[in-house]
Amino acid sequence: MIATIARKEFLEMVRDGRARAASAAVLAMLIAALLMGWKEFRDVQTEIEAAKQTVRQQWLAQSPKNPHQAAHYGTYAFKPRNPLSLADSGINRFTGVALFLEPHRQNDLRFRPAQDATVLERFGQMTASATLEILLPLVIIMITFGSFAGEKESGTLRQVLSAGVQPRSLACGKFLGVGAALALLLAPATVMGVIVISPITLASGSWDSIARAAILSAGFLLYLGGWTLLCLCVSAWASSSRLALVILLGFWIGNCLVAPRAMADIAGRFHPSGSALESHLKVTREAREGPDGHNPNDPYWRSRKQELFKQYKVSNVADLPFNFDGLVAVEAEKYSTEVYRRHFREIWSVFERQDRVYRVGGMAAPMLAIQSLSMGLASTDFQQQRHFAEAAESYRARMALDMNGYIMNHVRYGDRQALAGRDLWETLPDFDYTMPDVRWVIANQRVSVTALAAWFGACFILAVWRAERVRPV
Amino acid sequence: MLEARQLTKVYNGNTALRSLDLKVEPGEVFCLLGANGAGKTTTINLFLNFIEPTSGSALVNDIDVTSAPLETKKFLAYIPEQVMLYRNLTGVENLDYFVALNGAKRAKTELLKILADAGLPREVAERRVRDYSKGMRQKVGIAIAAAKDARALLLDEPTSGLDPKASNEFSELLARLSDNGVAILMATHDLFRAKESGTRVGIMREGRLLQTLRTSEISHSDLEQWYLGHMRTEKAAS
Repeated sequence: MIATIARKEFLEMVRDGRARAASAAVLAMLIAALLMGWKEFRDVQTEIEAAKQTVRQQWLAQSPKNPHQAAHYGTYAFKPRNPLSLADSGINRFTGVALFLEPHRQNDLRFRPAQDATVLERFGQMTASATLEILLPLVIIMITFGSFAGEKESGTLRQVLSAGVQPRSLACGKFLGVGAALALLLAPATVMGVIVISPITLASGSWDSIARAAILSAGFLLYLGGWTLLCLCVSAWASSSRLALVILLGFWIGNCLVAPRAMADIAGRFHPSGSALESHLKVTREAREGPDGHNPNDPYWRSRKQELFKQYKVSNVADLPFNFDGLVAVEAEKYSTEVYRRHFREIWSVFERQDRVYRVGGMAAPMLAIQSLSMGLASTDFQQQRHFAEAAESYRARMALDMNGYIMNHVRYGDRQALAGRDLWETLPDFDYTMPDVRWVIANQRVSVTALAAWFGACFILAVWRAERVRPV
Repeated sequence: MLEARQLTKVYNGNTALRSLDLKVEPGEVFCLLGANGAGKTTTINLFLNFIEPTSGSALVNDIDVTSAPLETKKFLAYIPEQVMLYRNLTGVENLDYFVALNGAKRAKTELLKILADAGLPREVAERRVRDYSKGMRQKVGIAIAAAKDARALLLDEPTSGLDPKASNEFSELLARLSDNGVAILMATHDLFRAKESGTRVGIMREGRLLQTLRTSEISHSDLEQWYLGHMRTEKAAS
């Protein structure tokens, strides 16, 4: 009986011109978003690969020079991209994917796509993920708001219930019918997504991306399944299909349009992050307050020199077992590194608290939960941005230490003309960053996963409870 | 087959049905007559378990509809005043759907024959219902009821809006069904149809079944006089 009801629901939806038009529009947007995401992914990936090689070659091709100067020449760290990021660019558009690494300072990411975006694009990019999160629930509302209420109004519910159909079976059949219609709508986009992502995933030789895609699909099933159940529940409760539509559209506006902005504001209010300029001035001032690594005559170094004379029982800087200028560079770098790390830790922890508030909001607005999960699995969320930035920072510190350490240990004190060459540049390995695996992501997305499961569970219970009470009069 | 025992329904303090005692035996066509609000539709809704009785019980094949609603619906078919169907399905698809809901499976040719027997030709049966007239929809409703092979039929103003030819065909169908032992309870305003199709008629007023008569014992004009007499009494009482 459930299959009969599902088949009838499916047939009716497929024949409904309005549902067909809305579905075709959403499908077109989904495919367009996937194609644009794939093109952007491919272009950025190609650019990153080319830039990585160029940057490495430029590093190695530096002419012989003072190692500290070589460190100042700097290099770039590029954030690798997960294939799923073509469906959800997350915060990448606003943070960028490249970090310039240089001594004395920790930089923000550069080359943000949003900087190059048109005014219209800055209002929000319609990614494949956003299409599923925002537009598909609208289609679900459109095809289900009248599923019970419309039948009550038209009188078909009397006919159906007089045939001895259990309301629960009716709800179940309707749910499966809507599911089949959505599956038909999503099938072309899914096939396309598989075609686009598979080669990238297979080339990586890792199951990680497949596991991520599977979990993301399950997440969307919970999210969209919850929407379908909610629509059925409201439709079963409402006295008219118009009332059901108004209630569902109200919830859609709250969930998809108001909640993201409101939760971001709430998170910012509870955990203010301050302005970027203020923050930059503060850390720069604090770094400058420390010993000047370019001036060995700084009072701090004069005092440090006396300590070293005592420690090594010498009276002349040239008698120290290492190059004092090198030590100045190493210790000054350690100081500034610590200042920047502390500063970034503070900023990261504020962002992390904001991020947590936003994710907890997923308990009230499921779109926040699926959005967080989607960004997490696409490696475009805040947490993985931090993970990358901290790995890049460790690499930066190592680069500065290697170059300054060479001066300290291999260059004679006072020899300002000493040069290092390719042999030294080659000792610095390429920046080899591995993204956290799917288990790490899920561990960090526990709240979002729980929120989605709770959303589906609550909608299921409500739909069953309401459907059992549905009456034609 | 259909039995009401002291069946009572009160809505927000208003008594829609008062202690109805009624039996419709197999092969019998019982017509409930009465003005709007007399309790006819409430009686049918109670047999369908669309509403719960305040007291008393409605039984189908000796089974209480409130304690076993799904079981009793197996014996019942129902045709409302306005048969509403799924607009995006054809007549035959609608019939197929309702037949399947009843747990049966019939070939398309068989379904088309049932529709044709109900007066709906094949070319109409294969068109989407959204273009159907009320009469056409009513015929599909009749076909749905006929296809169920139910042992009891509940009809709520089934001939309202039908043209004389369709009404006549409908009477013939009722005769066939009652000959096959189906118990029929029909709420109607149509005195002529009640006399033509009914074996017994009952008049209802303000939720009470006032009187029942065998149609074989009364002429058309007597039935009309009898009905109008009750209506006049109601008017005078109000």
